[in-house]
Amino acid sequence: MEQRTRVYICCSPHKRTGATTTARLLTEYLLFNGRGFAGFDTDPHEPDYGARFPQAVTIVDAAKVEGQVAMFDRLLVHDETPKIVDVWHRSYSRFIETMGQIGFMDEARRAMVQPIVLFHADATSASLAASHALAAQWPELGMVVVTNKGAAPLGPDASDILAQFPSSRRFAIGALDASSRACFDAPDFSLSRFLQAPPPDMSIVTRTGLRAWVAPIFTQFQTFELQMSMQAAQFL
Amino acid sequence: MKPAVILVGADKGGVGKTTVARALADYLTGKNIMTRAFDTESPRGTLKRFHGDMTEVVDIDSTSDQMRIIDTLNTAQVKVSIIDTRAGSLARTLRALRDVGFFDAVREGQFTFILFHVLGPSIASLDEIAETAPFVSNAHYFLVKNHVNDSTFFEWDPATYQNYFSKTRSAGELTIPKLSEMAYEQVEIAGSPFSQFVANKTGDGRQAAHSFVLRGYVRTWQGKIAEEFEEIGLLDLIAGASPKK
Repeated sequence: MEQRTRVYICCSPHKRTGATTTARLLTEYLLFNGRGFAGFDTDPHEPDYGARFPQAVTIVDAAKVEGQVAMFDRLLVHDETPKIVDVWHRSYSRFIETMGQIGFMDEARRAMVQPIVLFHADATSASLAASHALAAQWPELGMVVVTNKGAAPLGPDASDILAQFPSSRRFAIGALDASSRACFDAPDFSLSRFLQAPPPDMSIVTRTGLRAWVAPIFTQFQTFELQMSMQAAQFL
Repeated sequence: MKPAVILVGADKGGVGKTTVARALADYLTGKNIMTRAFDTESPRGTLKRFHGDMTEVVDIDSTSDQMRIIDTLNTAQVKVSIIDTRAGSLARTLRALRDVGFFDAVREGQFTFILFHVLGPSIASLDEIAETAPFVSNAHYFLVKNHVNDSTFFEWDPATYQNYFSKTRSAGELTIPKLSEMAYEQVEIAGSPFSQFVANKTGDGRQAAHSFVLRGYVRTWQGKIAEEFEEIGLLDLIAGASPKK
């Protein structure tokens, strides 16, 4: 069976849940593996994701039709280049509404495009309700529930909270220690470059912290891709 | 089924009358209802530009053109005729139809007559309702609020509105929702029916490269209009049924 072109939609209706971090991590994972991608940042005011990858990420205003055309038309191109969308929390509702208005899911199916929503959970009931609304609107939508312990820790009841979300697929992103976090947040820091050749002047503790943090994340991405490929495989 | 005439008109220009006629033509075509259209914007019609295959441009004041419309109602294979009146000529068209005896034939049950009266946002549109009332006693009469170009109908206060409505019997209402300006503009540029645009085809049926987003907006907009037509039971009216209460 032909592989569909994947569109990763990193989103949450709330701020500080780590959606941009996930978009960055996915991007770095692809770059580290020598693969191309096309990214979209729907925060036209402070586009952190777009600013980090200016050559490959398009900054769009999802509230404007021009921005929607620039993004959704490209997302529906079956070119086997993974797409990554960092959905700004303020544009979340508009993004989902537009998906419905333009019949995005139906067209994606026809165009051999596979949208995968990386829904960033937090402990609020509104987050849970938003995930269920998405699943109810598009039961066929691939959803992965992402928890970022550094950005939006779910606390001691994490497993009970997660059990209520409508997807059993999970990505878990751990918390970074303070010095590694400062390094990761630096505007010119590239994780993929770091993994290929760590700067010699970087503290060994920071290097170790970053490597330990990113290894399980990349493993999850790799496992997920393998699972997707196996699902699409004609022969097993 | 007896022949049906659907007149789309307004006495004010720029209210989106032809847009309504185009949406109607698309809806009927989509329902496999064979339809012909007359564009009274003679000599060059806007409706003709978008629905060239089904549309003839006519001069409603010309006797020969009146004959082309009315005298062929019974003989034409196509039983549904849309008449898109030129800007500002609804009352004149209605008078012309009265003078040739069309309304007498409607009263006798020979033809079905449906009037879509497209209103503008100003009070002048309400005055049109009063002017139109004498002609519509045997028509299925619908007042169309066209929001496609973002009209807000801000000048209509409810009391005035009700006062005018009470002057017309059996007037129903129809709302044409707003369509994204960019999507509307692209269909204009394409010069094709809305349904062709949605199908990513040019006006002459070739594959086009229209934006998916804009096609999606037009598709959703058409769906809402179809709901409006279904709400008033348009197909049943065309088939000769009584209006929905």
